[in-house]
Amino acid sequence: MTEPRVWSVSQVNRAVRVLLEDTIESLWISGEVANWTRARSGHCYFSLKDEQAQLRCVMFKTEAASLPAHLEEGTTVRALGGLTLYEARGEYQLVVRSLEAEGAEGLWRQAFERLRSKLEAEGFLAPERKRALPRFPEAVGVVTSLAGAALADILTVIRRRAPWTRVIVRGARVQGDGSGEEVAEAIRALGGSGLVDVLIVGRGGGLLEDLWAFNEEVVARAIVACPVPVISAVGHERDVTISDLVADVRAPTPSAGAEAVVKDGDGLSDALGISRTRMSGALRAIASRRREGLGLRLSQLRHSGLRLVRPRREAVGRAGDRMESAIRGLATLKRARLSEVAGKMDVLSPLATLHRGYALPQDAHGRILRTVEAFTDGDRFALRVLDGSVPCEVQGESR
Amino acid sequence: MTGGKDAPENTPSLEERLKRLEEIVRSLEASDLDMDVALGLFEEGVDHVRGAEATLRVAELKVEELLGPEDDPLVRPLEEDPE
Repeated sequence: MTEPRVWSVSQVNRAVRVLLEDTIESLWISGEVANWTRARSGHCYFSLKDEQAQLRCVMFKTEAASLPAHLEEGTTVRALGGLTLYEARGEYQLVVRSLEAEGAEGLWRQAFERLRSKLEAEGFLAPERKRALPRFPEAVGVVTSLAGAALADILTVIRRRAPWTRVIVRGARVQGDGSGEEVAEAIRALGGSGLVDVLIVGRGGGLLEDLWAFNEEVVARAIVACPVPVISAVGHERDVTISDLVADVRAPTPSAGAEAVVKDGDGLSDALGISRTRMSGALRAIASRRREGLGLRLSQLRHSGLRLVRPRREAVGRAGDRMESAIRGLATLKRARLSEVAGKMDVLSPLATLHRGYALPQDAHGRILRTVEAFTDGDRFALRVLDGSVPCEVQGESR
Repeated sequence: MTGGKDAPENTPSLEERLKRLEEIVRSLEASDLDMDVALGLFEEGVDHVRGAEATLRVAELKVEELLGPEDDPLVRPLEEDPE
């Protein structure tokens, strides 16, 4: 009688593992996800189950990197992998190489929709939450990868359109494990620094998986909590990211994000020129109203004086003349100050235009008559020329 | 947040200048102001136009990097990759 062969536990487990691995080829298994955990190492552990049974699964870091951060319990998936035995525990498990929900990118889509509904329920997607961007920010914050093309694109646009702007960058990895947390931290640091008026958060285009940091809840919450308005500028062709949805403004590319933030310098110069013109026009209108009022009072005074005190006509006339010249002197003083101030403006101002021989028609209230409709047959109006105003009357129909 | 920019400055920002300019233009155009008041507003407006134009003439973009943790920020010039 021979002694029975005694195996060590390790030997048995090794043998079963080899048996499993050698006899059962890779296979697709469908089931519901249960007990999903992602370890610090990056490996993911979970079970696949149906009504009666469950199967331990592991997905190692490299393969798991292409999955959303978290899979919801009960998500129906199919897994491709090989059966093996974890010898240390004697548990058999499936080593998953690929995990899919129905349809391409199904898992991503599900994770996206879940987060979107959650944020929507909290009111973070409401249009009335969107803040207006500052029109002319002094300092623009940028959160993106320091090495990426996105930063170069943003700087190119701002340099071209508004080089007086101060740009403060906070670098963050925008792709790969932990990138969402880094982006969120950068948004908090830069947004809360008090240094910037507005924040651009983004990266260049990529696959849906590459953009995933911008679909993560930490990033969404950092954007929502940011004290200054945020522009989400993630380069992607068709997909909207969660960042886009919660940001104050969504831009399709980093360059477009920069364009949304800084106005073109040329447009600003034009606007300044227009302000200048309008100010001087308004000032001239005020000055001419004052002068006309003065002239009217003067002639009324002379008129009544002459009529009432006819015998002492000469004396009154002299007094009137003196009064008139005194008032004229005052008006001249004011006019001198006016032209001194106006002289500060460049040749494009309307006063300079009058200097070149153009005249300006105004009605009794000093309003400028710009169009044919403003003139009716028989209307009286004044023609403002360089050194005063000429009374006029419309004769005949305007055309 | 400490509130406010790192360098306390007395000169108004571009945004503030343009906002004030709009107010000035509006009150000059809308109301029948006393000549002295109007002149004062006009002079202030011209100052803002010039200040804003001076800002627009700045040609060199300033790019900095924010370093350090949230509670201990540090700003230094960013070295851009030569292209």
